[in-house]
Parts: sequence; C-alpha cells; structure tokens
Amino acid sequence: MGAVRERAPALVSGNSTRLLLLFALLPLGAFFTVLWFGPMFYTLVMSFFTDPLGSAQFTGFGNYLDVLTGDTFPFYLWNSVLFAVSTTVLSLVVGLGFSLVVNEQLRGRQGLRTLMIVPYLLPTVVVVFLWTLMLDQNLGLLNQALVEMGIISSPIAFFSTPGLAMPSVITASVWKWGSFAFFIILANLQAIPDAYYERAQVQGASPWQQFRDITFPNLRGAILLILLVRGIWMFNKFDIIWLTTRGGPINLTTTLPIRVYDLAIRSGAFGSATALSGIMFAILAVTGVLYFTVMEPEAEVKD
Amino acid sequence: MAQEITLNDIRKQFGDIVAVKDVSVTFEAGDFVSLVGPSGCGKTTTLRMIAGLETPTAGRIHFDGVELTETTPQERPISMVFQNTALYPHMTCRENIGYGLKIHGIPKAERNDRIEEAADILQIPDQLDKMPGELSGGQQQRVALGQAFVEQPDVLLLDEPMSDLDAKLKEELRVEIQRLHRKLDATVVYVTHDQNEAMTMSDRIVLMDDGEVAQYDEPRTLFDRPNSEYVATFIGTPTTNVLEFEVEGQTAIHSAATIDLPSTLSTYSRLKIGVRPRALTPGKGTFGLDLTIDVIETMGHEHAIHATTPDGETSVEFVVDDVDDFAVGQTVTAGADLSDLLFFDETGAHLAYGSDLATTQEAGQR
Amino acid sequence: MFENRTGGPGGLVSSRTQRRVRRVALYLTALIVTAFIVTPLYVMIIVSLQSPETLFSGGELTLFSTELSLSNFRTLVTETATPRYLLNSFIITAGVVLVSTVLAVVSGYGLARFSFRGKTTTARLILFSYMFSPIVLAIPLYIIFFNLGLLNSHLAAIFSISAIAAPFSIWLMWQYFQNIPVTYEESAWTSGATRWRTIRDVVLPLARPGYVSVAIFAFSVAWNDYTMVKIVLSEQALYPITLGSSLFLDQLNIGWGEQMAAAVVMSIPPFLVALFLQNYLLQGFNLGHE
Repeated sequence: MGAVRERAPALVSGNSTRLLLLFALLPLGAFFTVLWFGPMFYTLVMSFFTDPLGSAQFTGFGNYLDVLTGDTFPFYLWNSVLFAVSTTVLSLVVGLGFSLVVNEQLRGRQGLRTLMIVPYLLPTVVVVFLWTLMLDQNLGLLNQALVEMGIISSPIAFFSTPGLAMPSVITASVWKWGSFAFFIILANLQAIPDAYYERAQVQGASPWQQFRDITFPNLRGAILLILLVRGIWMFNKFDIIWLTTRGGPINLTTTLPIRVYDLAIRSGAFGSATALSGIMFAILAVTGVLYFTVMEPEAEVKD
Repeated sequence: MAQEITLNDIRKQFGDIVAVKDVSVTFEAGDFVSLVGPSGCGKTTTLRMIAGLETPTAGRIHFDGVELTETTPQERPISMVFQNTALYPHMTCRENIGYGLKIHGIPKAERNDRIEEAADILQIPDQLDKMPGELSGGQQQRVALGQAFVEQPDVLLLDEPMSDLDAKLKEELRVEIQRLHRKLDATVVYVTHDQNEAMTMSDRIVLMDDGEVAQYDEPRTLFDRPNSEYVATFIGTPTTNVLEFEVEGQTAIHSAATIDLPSTLSTYSRLKIGVRPRALTPGKGTFGLDLTIDVIETMGHEHAIHATTPDGETSVEFVVDDVDDFAVGQTVTAGADLSDLLFFDETGAHLAYGSDLATTQEAGQR
Repeated sequence: MFENRTGGPGGLVSSRTQRRVRRVALYLTALIVTAFIVTPLYVMIIVSLQSPETLFSGGELTLFSTELSLSNFRTLVTETATPRYLLNSFIITAGVVLVSTVLAVVSGYGLARFSFRGKTTTARLILFSYMFSPIVLAIPLYIIFFNLGLLNSHLAAIFSISAIAAPFSIWLMWQYFQNIPVTYEESAWTSGATRWRTIRDVVLPLARPGYVSVAIFAFSVAWNDYTMVKIVLSEQALYPITLGSSLFLDQLNIGWGEQMAAAVVMSIPPFLVALFLQNYLLQGFNLGHE
C-alpha cells in the first residue's frame, strides 16, 4: 500500500551485504562459465577447424558448408522436425482431450490423474523396454492382436520397418511425454473461475460456445507454452530414438541429435559434429528468441 | 529510554522517482507520532528510512543526537510491526514473539516471562503455542505487536498495522496500541493512510503530500488551523466543503452565496473558501449557501445531506441532527459564521482563518 | 441472440439425450486413455513376475498367470551387474541432487534479493540453457573431461548431468525466493538478527518447499539420465542402471523377464519419491521438466 517502493529491497550498505552478493552469485557465474559458456565456445571454435583434435587446420566455414551442402542434411533436419512436431502436437491433443475429460464430474477422476503421472515418472529406458516388448515381432501384444484380428498376415518388426519406425518412436514418446501437456492444461483449466461458465450459461451459451469463448482463450497461453517448450525438447531428443532404433532403419529416424552423436562419438569427425552443433545452436537461438518474444517468461522474476 | 528522532533534509529517490523530498522534522522523545497521507505520499518510505531498511539518497537521521543515517536496522534501537504482520509461519507464536529476545541472547526463562507478560497485555495468552496460520487476522496482529513490544525498544515503528483488518477490530487494536505506548518508554512512529486513526491516537501528526510534509502539528491544530486546502480536506470526516469565489470589490461571489470580505482579503481576484460540514446549519449563521438536496444519508444519531450549488458545479455536504424537515430535491439555505470559514487562494494555499478574522472584527467593533 | 442453442427447449436434440451422449463419450475416452497407459505397465509387471518356463508356455507371452515367481529378480542380482549399476545410479543421483540444489538455493537467493544490472539477460540465459540440447553440450564436455583426465568418472557424470539439471533448478528457486515476502527478512533485521542469522532462521526454513521441489527435480533428471552418461562414461563398472540395463537389449542371455524385472527395479525409486513427496511434485510442472 504505502509509498513508492523498490521491489527488490534496497539493501543497507555494508561489507557483509557485498560479501553475500558475491558469495551468492559467484557459484552461478562459475557454473555457467565452466559448464556452459566454456564448452559452447569450445564447440564454436572447433567447428572452424578440420580435424580439431588432431592436426587442426583452420578452414573458416568449411565444415559448415560441408554439412549444409551435403545431401543428407535436409533429410536429417526433416526427420527432426517431423519427430518434434508430431510428438508435440499429438501430446497436446492427448493432453488437452484427456484433461477436459478429467476436469468433468467423473467418477474416479482422482485415480485417472494419479495414473497420468506414472509414464512421466518412468525413466526413458524403462519406456523403451516396455514399447520394444509391446511392439516386438515375436511376442509383442500389438502383433498378436493384429494377426488375430486378421489385419496383418504375419507379424511386423515395427522399429525396423521403414515407414513404421518413426510412427513407433512417436507413439512411445507420446506415451511418456503426453502427461506433460495434460498436467499443464489441467492446472490451467482448474484455474478458470466457475463464474465465467455460470455467466455464459445464464446468457445462453451452448457447451461448444463455452469452450470456444471461455475455455480456449484461457488455455491459449498454456498451449503456446507446450508447443514451444515441448517442441524444442523433442527437437533435442536423443535417448528414446537412439535406444529404440539407433537412427535406423536406413537413417529414417536419424534426427540432428542422433547425427551429432554419430559424427562425434562413432566416427570421431569432430569438425563436422561441432559444425552441426553450431547449426543446432543457431536453430535453438532463433526458437529461443521467438519464445522470449512471445511468452516473456523472464517477466516472472523481473521486478 | 525513548529517543528523539531528527530527520534532516531527508531525500529518497528510486531511479527517477523522488519518493521523499527533503523532509525535516523532529519527533520528541516519547511522543506518539503518525505519518499520514494518501498512497504514494512517501510515508512508508520515510518510516523505512527511520528503520534503516532504506538508506536516504541525501540528508541525515539522528536518534538522540547520534547520527544513524547509514547504519543497518540491526544497529538501531528499534522494533517494527509490518503491514502484513511478517510472522514466521514455521515458528509458534511464542517463538515469533521471543525471536528478537533470542537474537539478543536473553536466557530462556526470562524470555518466557516477558513473552507471557506481553501475551497477557495483548489478551492472547491462550494462543502462544499455536502456529500463526491458525490465528485470526486480529490475533495475528496482536502477536506482531507483542513481538515488537517484548523487545522494549526505544523507538517503535508501525507500518499500517491495521490496514487489512475490519472496522471493529481496528477500534479494539487502536486502544491496544495506545495502551502499549503508555507501558513502553518509547517514541512511536505510526504510518497510516487513515486520518481518523491518526487523529485519535497521536500526540502529533505529520501529514504528507507527494513526498513533502504538508503540515506537522497536534491533531487539534491540524483540524482547526489547516495550513492549506489539502490539509483541510484530508483531515476530518465528512470532508471539508471548498467553494471557489470570484471577488468583486469587497464581496466574494458564488452562485450559492455572496460573502462580505474583510479588507485584508479583498485584494485577491479569486479565492477558495472552506467550511466543515458540521459547521453548516440550515437557517442559521451570518452567511448562507443556497443548495438543492441530492441525497440524504442516515448515520444513526446524525444525518449527512449531500447537496448541489445553484450552478450545479459544486457538491456541498452538511450534517444535521434531525432529518424530518428535509427531502430530496428541496432547496435549503445552510449557514455558517465567519469564524467557521477557512480562506485559501486559488492554488489552495492558506490565506486566513475565519476565527482570527472574527476576533479582530469583534475587537474592531468594540 | 439465442438461436444457436442446440439443446434446451426448441433445440434439435433434447438436452437429456445430449447430456447422456456426452457422458458416454467422456467415459469412453477415459477408458481408452486408461487402457493406453495401463497395458504396457501391466505387461511389464506380469512379465517380470514369471519364470521363463511359465512365461513362454503357450508359444506366446503368458499375460494372465497365477504362478508368480521372483526368479527374474534373482537372476538380475546373481548373473548381471545390476547391483553395481544401482549403486552407481545412487552415487551419481545423490551427487547431482546435492550440486543442483545447493547451487539453486544460493543462486536463487542472490538473484531474487539483490538488484543488479542485467537481470533480464541472466533470466534469459538460464531459460535458454534449460531448453538447450543435451547432446550438443555433451560433445564438448566429453572432450574437456577427456583433456582433464576426468572422463570415465562419477564426477564427470555428476557435473554433466548437473549442467542440464541446474538451470531449471535455479529458475525454480529464483521464483520461489521472489515469492517469499522480503518483510520476513526485514522483520528479523529490525529484531537485530544479522543477514546470515536471518538466512539461517528465516529464509531457509521458509524456502523448504522450494528446495524440496528442486531436489525432486534434480533427482528425476539424474535417475532418468541416459544421454550424458552414455557419452562421458565408457567403463561398464561405472554405468548407472539406465545405461547398464540398456545393454540387456542386445544381450542374448537376458530375456524379457529379466529386462522387465530391471525396468521394475529402476522404476521403484521415482515411485517412492512420488509417493512420499507428492505435494511437492507438481510444483515442477510450473514450467514443466524433462
């Protein structure tokens, strides 16, 4: 109430305060320098050399040109985008649909809510185990069911069949990360005051109109957040793809992170690997700028 | 021992905003002083500078002649009650009240004695072992007062401690705070936006306006002899009526009234005249305001009548004991004597008190 | 104004039928999603609890069985390095939780309570690093750790996992401290408590829910991590359970039963955490976590 006041408290001058400030922010600085700026700078430097760990020779943008002009880059980029977009959108659809269901007066909704957190808690490796078994050619439940129903004549190796490998990875991913969207949307749904709906009902709005005019506008921020943040994370995903397909068959599930790993760890081609890292860095930076401009997430901590 | 507090040209800037503009006042040792004013007038900032929670951009602060401008809150002989109580949710009320004593290394037995004494005075002995979250708003505020009281500070600072409470609780706590003040040997500085609280509790009041001291006086003086239109309208309920008059010759003219001016005031071309609602009485007085009644509010034993001047531009309020003779839409003439009037210039600066003029007039007639 | 109403008086379908259809649709959706989630979980548990003989008795997986046994778990302990992997997981996870939580509490307090230039930039950097690709970060870390001779050590695993766990932890603590009114601290100062004492008596107790959430988050990142350890660890004896058990996928002597048993084992710690600390758990969904 009082008077004009600074949000961050103006501190009493004194040495102990300065010491405390130093003490508090020094580890942060050290952390980012050693584990982020240092490595990223190192990556960017390496990307301008051929064979950076051996007979390093400066080549300018040579590595970048090689990566960008090679005929595989657009293909890997497409795989990344396909994987990121479809997992994100499907997670959103599942999450939105199911949170709308759980938000209703439904028997056992509490149990459903708890259930939804389970896939999220499981380590990715476990999810991979489950889905390799579910989709296994010899013993998998899905193959059994499809064969019994007569939809297919012989069992399919889902993770190694072109055309089915990517959808299979996507299915397993949605199973694990769909609940992210679910919980965010559910929290936002529950935050919409009942009075909004009551007023709309009194004014004669149909359920669809209520969804369109009240529910959806109130969820817009959450949906945008999910699309952006989840999208970026899925774009960066390595573990679930690597563990299920190793990027195969015939590179059909090789996304940019898988490619970086292949180049660096498997082939030891650090020049190309770091150049590709630099390109991913640029892509993420652009998305980051978009995220900061649209969502202004830093407003939550600024005074 | 209560200490005298001196603020010397205190200034506080937050970026481009000047919250407090060169304030100089002295609070006498043992006084109950209120800092009052609307939101954003700089009263809380001033209190926080006395506490040491903010350092002034310029100026000096002395306690009993000792300069403390740059010292930390820990080094000052103060305790403070915060607007939101600031009771620690992870400590019981007993621990909350005793926290300051614990910091100062008071042994546990003595601590408990003092906590219980404070709790008795504040009528919360049964609440001591509860957590603050289990208490009502009023009880929480009592614990917060107890927390400040047990330290027996030389200076007690209170930052709008009652602004979140309902009217009945406010009245109770008002009495409680005054009782504490009597028991403590301390200078009390009390920040509030409620002039009524300030008027009833204080020895002296600092009325602030936009970072400056509008007037620093005893409550009665503030009411009787406001030194500007701002003070006259801020202090007292219902608020003072102010009408703007044109001066022609010796007469001040308004659509509601014409008033013969003393010669000292007839040099102005326009001036403002203030009159308190309780000073206006229908059918009485030497000057009359012609008014049309808009709204009648009943306040129990008295009634507030809201009316409009004939030009329709100014609202005037007056208070009557009996409402039977009045009806909405009716025209009345509400009168007052010269001694009830307050004279300001166009900008609202003080010109003369009607009471002074009346005395001189009487003296002249004699 | 009201002509668009489909239900109610004058609507095409009676509102009663409409409501009934809606209910059926709701329960049907709930049923499908539940089946989608529960089936793999059920398969995991039922497969892990059957001996190889009963599991494949009919040529297909036995999914409904009363002959349950713990033989798979026994095999895991006696014939694989699972106990070693689990121990490694605990060491690495404990290290990450400690590093991330301490860093988050200290930095969060500093960021929330002190005013300095460049706060917006700092906030953006933290958020950006949180969105960053782990694999892109892992490559240079691999080389740096190699040069420092730290590659293939638990320390390397702890630091590289902390690198991806800390940004969000710091962000969470920053927000948390920001929401603790500073008057609590001011009140302690006016009572005579020093800054350090205030931090001990007031700030840390009030921040408890915040750092418990952060610790849970760091735990789940570390326990779940595969990518970072895959790159910085190459010696099998140092592998955590995620990396170690992923080898089972290619090992012929390890069957589905043992694999599912391993899956159950590594799912237990997160479930225990969720069970005992569920109130803190959803706090992490504020911005969400991996």
